[in-house]
Amino acid sequence: MTFLRRVPRRVIQLTCFVGAVVLVWPLLPWAIAPRFFQQLSPFVALASSIAARSIGVGAILALIVAVVSSFKKRWFCLYLCPTGFLLENTSRVGLRKIRWWSKCPPVGRYVAILTLAGAVAGYPVLLWMDPLCIFSSPFAMNRATNPISVILVCLGLGVLVGATFVFGMAWCVHICPLSGLQDMLFSMRKVLWTRLTSRASSHKSPDARRAFFAGAGGALLALGARRIGAARYRKSDTLLRPPGAVPEDRFAGLCIRCNNCVHACPSKIIRPDTGHEGGLAGFGAPIIRFDRDYKYCLETCNACTQVCPTGALTPLGLQEKNKYIIGEALVDNNVCLTALGKKECDACEHACPYDAVKITWDEAQYNAYPVVNDKCVGCGACEVVCPTSPVRAIRVWTQKPA
Amino acid sequence: MRRSIAAGGLFAAGSLMPVSSTLANQAAGQSTTQAETRVPATIVGGKVVQPRRELPVLHKTSILVVGGGPAGTAAAFSAKRLGVDVTLVERYGYFGGLATGGLVLGIFPLYDRGNKQVIFGIGEELMKKLDVLKYGIIDRNKAPIYPTVDAEAFKYVLADMLLDSGITAYLDCWGVDAIVDAKGAVRGAVFESKSGRQAILADIVIDASGDGDIYAAAGAAFEKVKTNIGLISRIGNIDEVDMAPGRGSEDPNKPLIGKPEEGRPSKGRVNDFGGHAGNSTPAPHVNWLNMKGPVGDALDVADLTELELKHRIGTWGNVEKLRQKPGNEQVYLTETAPQLGVRLSRLLDGVKKLTVNEIRNGATFKDVIGYSGAYANAPAFQIPYGSLVPAKVENVLAAGRCISAEFEVADITRLIPVCWVTGQAAGLAAALCIQDKCKPRNVNVAKLQNLLHQQGAYLG
Repeated sequence: MTFLRRVPRRVIQLTCFVGAVVLVWPLLPWAIAPRFFQQLSPFVALASSIAARSIGVGAILALIVAVVSSFKKRWFCLYLCPTGFLLENTSRVGLRKIRWWSKCPPVGRYVAILTLAGAVAGYPVLLWMDPLCIFSSPFAMNRATNPISVILVCLGLGVLVGATFVFGMAWCVHICPLSGLQDMLFSMRKVLWTRLTSRASSHKSPDARRAFFAGAGGALLALGARRIGAARYRKSDTLLRPPGAVPEDRFAGLCIRCNNCVHACPSKIIRPDTGHEGGLAGFGAPIIRFDRDYKYCLETCNACTQVCPTGALTPLGLQEKNKYIIGEALVDNNVCLTALGKKECDACEHACPYDAVKITWDEAQYNAYPVVNDKCVGCGACEVVCPTSPVRAIRVWTQKPA
Repeated sequence: MRRSIAAGGLFAAGSLMPVSSTLANQAAGQSTTQAETRVPATIVGGKVVQPRRELPVLHKTSILVVGGGPAGTAAAFSAKRLGVDVTLVERYGYFGGLATGGLVLGIFPLYDRGNKQVIFGIGEELMKKLDVLKYGIIDRNKAPIYPTVDAEAFKYVLADMLLDSGITAYLDCWGVDAIVDAKGAVRGAVFESKSGRQAILADIVIDASGDGDIYAAAGAAFEKVKTNIGLISRIGNIDEVDMAPGRGSEDPNKPLIGKPEEGRPSKGRVNDFGGHAGNSTPAPHVNWLNMKGPVGDALDVADLTELELKHRIGTWGNVEKLRQKPGNEQVYLTETAPQLGVRLSRLLDGVKKLTVNEIRNGATFKDVIGYSGAYANAPAFQIPYGSLVPAKVENVLAAGRCISAEFEVADITRLIPVCWVTGQAAGLAAALCIQDKCKPRNVNVAKLQNLLHQQGAYLG
């Protein structure tokens, strides 16, 4: 630590900021690099491990950060956090007049408790408030297809920068759940230390009553959100998640909107949801759209499942990913060119990488039409080559249980 | 008659007389008593045996094109333009093959993914001739909508061009065997017609038979494939339904005919024609109705017979079903195609077998002779000369659907405009063989490509 003291803090911050950009851009040739950025956050690692009921190797990074932070208060915020660096400099040029918030009790730790309690119930409610995820989200901008999604991916960081310009460091000091968690870790270490060394403690721990209400609220919210998510999925026809997605009742909670999957996708079919599919709870979470020409979920790619820092997308090997069912292709024979005898067309059959679509001759109807078999995983290869317009005869729909 | 048939003739085999005189000299009701001079097949030891016999040589030519479909006619026209002696033999009574007799009226794939036309040459010339005819062709240069021709207009154009070209032609004449010399090189082909079994000797044979009948008979290696065999028909009075906006449009601005059902289709529902069927043709109120058909063996006469019968019954039934839809009461079956819609049968084992990977990955070839348009998930792709040349047998070239390609590639190269491309290249290559006195596999590719350019073909 002594050598660090000799280096000006801003130099370290700048270095970390640049490092963060390199990781999430991603400028490294290593495809899964972006994941390690969000996994630095103990908040993300803890909540997602609890919610997913499993711990990944990536949690080691967060453990190191957690241990150091419990000895050195807000060490992560002061040195490593790129969002913190950005906001700190914003506040330097900001208005710096409104300071009433500093009299309010800090809520960050309660956000963290609420989220962790939600995680116990399987749905880490406010996990998307993690500053690292908010930082990485705008990097998916080059994948945006319309102005709304540009706004969507930049919304989090934009709001923080704007608020910091007006209110100063309210977010970092008072609201950020990551800093709240660090504070808790620090005080817990202090309490433990005090017990061990029998010295009197003057440190304030979180208000027990507030913590209880935050925890109970988090658990209730989590259960409610899971019910709504499951119901939405049952009703939806068009909700498609990237491969490896955990069941829909937990997905929107585990997903932190980091957009790693969005910009890992070489086909650019993964998009942040503008609320059309997943509703308010699913706002910003990734969905799949087969609206670009000839772009589908490639049978040679499992990138999205590898970059998810929380396990909302389970890491899948290529073979496993190719068995993951994104949705099911269904044919409207009143649109299909072959079924209508309009043209020699077997585009879907040719395009299918899984041998799942066959133009089948029906002797009774004395006609042929595409029939989709059980091998279909909903990769969308058929949909994107289907030449009918404005509606494609073969489309991938949300899979319904038989 | 203004035109005459140059060497040989449609009816006067081997004569140099114009067709008009041949016919004019014949009087109706003339009868001559004549005994067949040939020896019939006999039964020897319970087996039917064809006695060894000498075949009359109907004609001698430089280039013999077997099959007068899109590939065969393109080959004959292009070769004849180099001043080479060309003979074209067709099994049916008209030219155009599946494009006319099969009612495959849609001319696709013509365009690349950017909607740029990539097939020109003889095919473009034919379409230009159709352009000036009333009810000849529709939707020209409206990519991504493909043009649709009228079968009769197309037959007219081909007959007209043939009479102008100086090509010797024989119709109603079925290529049944290859003539192979002691070294295994092809020297011509044997034909059956009302004139009996006759031989045509040639320096180079272009097998545009579709089924690769001639190269197979000559002993060239091939892959036999079975796929769907349908029967296309034309239906009339169909425009009483709302057919106007498009024709199975690939154009996002042109909506599909009829209203697609909203929402999620139910699994396993079958088509009930939904009140519309087929695609517009140049003829008003007439649609052509494609049929996929079941998988059959195009080289098995039993399969072909069964399908010819069943398809005509099935088509009639489908039109009756269609008539039950409100607004369709007056729809009638104009015709079923004279020819079954055989898609693929034999695929040559050529010097080069065009593979699926190559066409999907945009492979380029030094001996490129043309392009196929984009189709399904394959972008527009190059076709190499090597896929027209048999790996072993000499003096024969393949053109049309029976060229050397993997099944999935052949499923694209079999389509009408691509047959024009391979046909034109085969014709010019054969002409170069005659001019340069070389074998098809030794053709100077640079020269061939230059000639293709001169004839307006697109090579990228």
